[in-house]
Amino acid sequence: MDQLRQNGMNEKQKKQTIAYGIVGGIIIAAILLITTIWVSNSARIGTNQAVNRVSEFYLEELAGRRAQVVSEELKNNFAYIENALAILESSDLESQETLRGFLGKVKKLYGVDKFALVDESGIVYTEHSTASGLGRYAFLSEELTEPVISTANLYGAKKQVILAVPVEDIVFQGSRIKVCFIQINIDEMLSSLTLQSGNNETYCSLYYRNGESLTNSDFGNFKGESNLLSALSQADINDKFSYEQLEDDFENGVSGQISFKYQGYQEDLCYIPIEDTNWMLTILIRDNVISDQISSISSGMMSRSIIQIVITVIVMLVVFLILIHQYRRNARFLLEQEKADGDRIRAAFAQIEREQAAMENIHAAMNSGLWSMEFNEEAEIISCTWTDVFRKMVGYESEEDFPNRLESWSDLLNEEEKEGVLKEYWDTVRDYTGEKTYDVQYRLHTRHNGWRWFHAAGRLSRREDGSPITFVGLFVDIDDEKKMEERLEKQKIDLEDALKAAQHANKAKTTFLNNMSHDIRTPMNAIIGFTSLAAAHIDNTEQVKDYLSKITTSSNHLLSLINDVLDMSRIESGKVKIEEKEASLPEIMHDLKTIVQADIASKQLEFYIDTVDVVNENVLCDKLRLNQILLNLLSNAMKFTKPGGMVSVRILQKGNAPEGWAAYEFQVKDTGIGMSREFQEQVFEPFERERTSTVSGIQGTGLGMAITKNIVDMMGGTISVASEEGKGTTFTVALQLRTCSGTVRQEVIPELQGLRALVVDDDFNTCSSVTQMLSVIGMRPDWTTSGKEAVLRVKLAEDQNDEYAAYIIDWLMPDMNGIEVVRRIRGIIGEDRPIIILTAYDWSDIEEEARKAGVTAFCSKPVFLSELRELLESPFMVSNTEDTILEDNVSFKGKKILLVEDNELNQEIAVEILQETGFIMDVAEDGVIAVDKMKAAKPGQYDLILMDIQMPIMNGYEATRQIRALDDPVLASIPIIAMTANAFDEDRKAAFDAGMNGHVAKPINIPKLMDLLRDILT
Amino acid sequence: MFEKMLKDETGQDKLWSPNPVLGVFTVVFCMLSLGLSGCGGKSPNEVLPVQDEESVLNDQDNSNGENIVKAVNFDHELDGYEPLKKEYNFYFTYKTVHPWWDAVALGIEDAAKQYEDKGIIINYEYLAPNEVSARDQVRRLSEASRQDFDVIGVDVADVSIVTPVINELMEDGQKIMTFSSSDASREDGCNRIAYVGNTHNYEDGADLTEALCKKLGYRGKVAILVGTRGAPCHEERALGVQDVIARYPDMKIADIAYDEDNAEKAYEFTQEFLEKHEDLAGIVCCNMSNPVGAAKAVVEAGREDEIVIVGMDHDQEALRYLRDGIIYALGVQDCYSIGFDTIQVAVKIADGHLPGEDYPEKTEEITTIIYQNEAAKMLQEIYGEIE
Repeated sequence: MDQLRQNGMNEKQKKQTIAYGIVGGIIIAAILLITTIWVSNSARIGTNQAVNRVSEFYLEELAGRRAQVVSEELKNNFAYIENALAILESSDLESQETLRGFLGKVKKLYGVDKFALVDESGIVYTEHSTASGLGRYAFLSEELTEPVISTANLYGAKKQVILAVPVEDIVFQGSRIKVCFIQINIDEMLSSLTLQSGNNETYCSLYYRNGESLTNSDFGNFKGESNLLSALSQADINDKFSYEQLEDDFENGVSGQISFKYQGYQEDLCYIPIEDTNWMLTILIRDNVISDQISSISSGMMSRSIIQIVITVIVMLVVFLILIHQYRRNARFLLEQEKADGDRIRAAFAQIEREQAAMENIHAAMNSGLWSMEFNEEAEIISCTWTDVFRKMVGYESEEDFPNRLESWSDLLNEEEKEGVLKEYWDTVRDYTGEKTYDVQYRLHTRHNGWRWFHAAGRLSRREDGSPITFVGLFVDIDDEKKMEERLEKQKIDLEDALKAAQHANKAKTTFLNNMSHDIRTPMNAIIGFTSLAAAHIDNTEQVKDYLSKITTSSNHLLSLINDVLDMSRIESGKVKIEEKEASLPEIMHDLKTIVQADIASKQLEFYIDTVDVVNENVLCDKLRLNQILLNLLSNAMKFTKPGGMVSVRILQKGNAPEGWAAYEFQVKDTGIGMSREFQEQVFEPFERERTSTVSGIQGTGLGMAITKNIVDMMGGTISVASEEGKGTTFTVALQLRTCSGTVRQEVIPELQGLRALVVDDDFNTCSSVTQMLSVIGMRPDWTTSGKEAVLRVKLAEDQNDEYAAYIIDWLMPDMNGIEVVRRIRGIIGEDRPIIILTAYDWSDIEEEARKAGVTAFCSKPVFLSELRELLESPFMVSNTEDTILEDNVSFKGKKILLVEDNELNQEIAVEILQETGFIMDVAEDGVIAVDKMKAAKPGQYDLILMDIQMPIMNGYEATRQIRALDDPVLASIPIIAMTANAFDEDRKAAFDAGMNGHVAKPINIPKLMDLLRDILT
Repeated sequence: MFEKMLKDETGQDKLWSPNPVLGVFTVVFCMLSLGLSGCGGKSPNEVLPVQDEESVLNDQDNSNGENIVKAVNFDHELDGYEPLKKEYNFYFTYKTVHPWWDAVALGIEDAAKQYEDKGIIINYEYLAPNEVSARDQVRRLSEASRQDFDVIGVDVADVSIVTPVINELMEDGQKIMTFSSSDASREDGCNRIAYVGNTHNYEDGADLTEALCKKLGYRGKVAILVGTRGAPCHEERALGVQDVIARYPDMKIADIAYDEDNAEKAYEFTQEFLEKHEDLAGIVCCNMSNPVGAAKAVVEAGREDEIVIVGMDHDQEALRYLRDGIIYALGVQDCYSIGFDTIQVAVKIADGHLPGEDYPEKTEEITTIIYQNEAAKMLQEIYGEIE
């Protein structure tokens, strides 16, 4: 019952509360409404009064300003007239034309409608007319004695203001000029004053003081043709004003205002006199329009305010009811929510427990170790927990072995990854945004299985400020997967490399075939073609010789091409090996000079070889390959340099090599046709030839530079080119070679120490190089590039009793040749001191003459320190002429050769060549026959065997071995020379290994063959 | 075509017929008859109307403000003709220095101004003696011919004296036109090129007289102030006056005087008329000056209620007399249009064009008869004068 009564009371209380709310809202609304109406009315009244006051002030101000403008305008125009008359000259009055010109200028200058002079007859002179004006201008009807302002209603709309002044002392064509005037369009003048536009209700006009309008225009509701005062006499004047006052003001030219109602409009008129005129300027404003607008605005405001208040009250009531309703709903909802939350939390805890158990099972099953860390608010670890699974994964059993601290784990990290992994760990911990996830892979040194790959990942729970609370993560052994990945990656790379290599090889093969097809067919075409021609003209000996010569040229080219191709092929296939043996750079360079000497001479080129700072002359290198490099470069230089050009080789020893090594630069320079910049980038590519080379008709395989580059690469060096078209090319090969036999002796020669020496060479580099060497020996060298100066220096030295102990003089110099210099020096110094001629050429032709002139010895360029030392140490008078015995005339007559050759053509060629030199030839078609013949032969029956290698039945190696195995020692030791198309080094080596004594490559180079035969048989 | 609406002072139709159909018929008949008489025996082909020939005769009750608009047309614009030169020199001479020709001068000035706005300069001299003198006019023409004018325009003071001079100058290669009030036509033996102005002076005189007769009830004596003897416009109007009066048996011509277009002389002649003819009922004035002189004399004689005055044109004083009821009607010629069209025709003549498609041989301007109720508006419109 109490409960029911309590509920009833509560219900009643609620109803009362609602009723109070509604009544209160209505009272507030009423107060707001009444206040708004009162404020609006007050505002409207105040605004009206303020507007009226402002309008009055505004009108007065407006009228005053406009009156001032009109007055100023009139004054200015009078000033214009005075100014114009002041500048009127007698020349302007000479004729009608001059006067019109003057009037026109003035009119334009002042921008008036008309500027005119009027004579005593009333004739008006203007810019373009001369006409009577008595009837048109009222002011002309009387004698003008002072300036006047008048208006002329010159036919309707052409209302004009006229300002006229009396004029004296001006006579034009016998008539006295009496008046000067200007016309101003009054409408234009007023247009700048009026405010009438669109719905504007403000008007401006001018009236005479009698109320007549100066214009024909309407003024508000006042018609243009009406008298303003007459019209206003009919108006309903406001109490504050009187019509009489207005009339008096107009009559007396006094400014004022009047408010009246005319034709239904409440209007304000302000009038003000224009100075020096009988005009009144009037401004009219319809204030009822303004007040209407104000009333309209006030009413609108009030209406809107009332609506606003009503809406506000309604909204307030609705909001009030909604709030009560919502409050009750929320209370119910919160109770239900609390109950539901309790259920959910309990269920969640149960779920978490289940999931934790499941997770542990999963981790155990997956062999993934859990770990967790707790942090304080400063992100410092306060506890660390490694699970048993974790420990087992790294090989530890208990917390004693693997304590619960971070270092237990971090100390096992691989040094390569340690820094990165720890950084990632701490970055994640200190990332207060919580966006970062810890996810790393690293190697850990396990207790029993060494380094293994693990994958660790974890996330943090954080406080509100982002500081870490708990860091929980997983730890999985991924070593097997990682290693599998690495294997797969390696396989992938290998496969890609293999694919690239295959593609490259395929491309190279295609390129090679294309190039070879062209390059081989070209000389083959010549050979076949000229052979056909020779056959067709067999009776014409001269022609056949010419064809054969061309066939020879093409054959040689083809041979060199094949050699190059094979060389290249072997280099690329890795069959070429660099065999380092002790070699002498001077020897290599001198050999080089010897080899190219003939070509240099035939091409009429200048050739120099010099050395700079070469201290280590003996090095370990593949002499053959170094020679090949330099020969290839020189061959190219000669090929592309025109007669008269210069080719040079320079060796520089650099000081930047490690101990036991020496760094050299071999510079091969020419003054030939040079190369384009584009071609320089491709010069070392196989089959690349500069187009200009082809155009110039110079043949080449296009492989020389590629081979050279490959060899240089194999020798661990570099090759570069600098070239300019039309100027020449310099190839620079930089090699670092192991030194042997120590350095050249650097000590001084006691006998020569302190003695003077003179070096004479037109090449500064040679002078410098030799001078430096002489200094090393201990001498005091002087040098000059002029032969004449050398003679003078010698004379001077003699005069000073400080003569030169040795003279090293270049053979060829521009101002005086070396022989002549020697002759003259000898004339000064006598015969007792050595004079050495320095030359890059073969001196045999001049030796006799030179010795007669007084040359003691010759020294060939390039000069090496060892050579110079040897020369200066040796007794100078020794001549080596005896050593130069030529053995060209060795005869092979009667010597017997067994030629083992399966190819009939080759048999024929060899037989023909050798028989011509006196050999008696026997032929075996293969190795078996050869062995049989040797077995059957008597000792001495054959002097030598020329053995082909590749033959049917038995090859040359086998045959040689069997011959060497014969019982008869004489037969078994018979010289055997391989004569084979297997021309490579390994072939040569194989031949020697098989017991042969020599190796000749096919096609047969007859001089070389002869040299070899000579060496073996003599 | 020109129309005439003849109504009496009370607004009733004339010809004494209350029947409107008959009235309309009568009006049409009168229009036709006056039109024919207005031709004055001239060939119909002589007039090539550029604008309708129109003479409006309304009585004061029936007239309204529209007449004013018709009377003087200020709203002129140049026709589409493109002048061949950039500058022209004209010489115009007229009968005498007089406000009427000053009004013509305004039209000339406005046309010149409009040409100037188009970049074409019109230089002109517009001069006349202080008194009408055919000999002075001849002298002026001769002097002008010695100067380099493109066209010479003349308002012929005396046909017989001036025509030979015009022909002589034409033979000398001068281009001569006539303008404003008086022509010397081909029929007069004049070879001038064209004429711009009033071509219906006879009709104007007749119309005014008709109005006067109506006002007088077609009864009474009438005096005529002609103007300048020999001046075609004055003479033709006087002829029209006489012809109309002759139609009504109760109407008589009391006197005819030549006042030489001079108000003072007109005043004196009127005084004489008033003295001579005590029963004088009306005065017809055939030029612009004589209505003023006549009105002044009548007012001074105190007989303004007895004598009905009709006259020509829009002299300011005459308009005031009209406004005040002293003058009964004025025939207002459109001087402004005469001046405006004179310049347009002169330009075409200067460019070598002969009458034909570009302009007629005679460019006709209208005359409008106005009454008391239109006087104030006319005064305001023309002279800016407000009551």
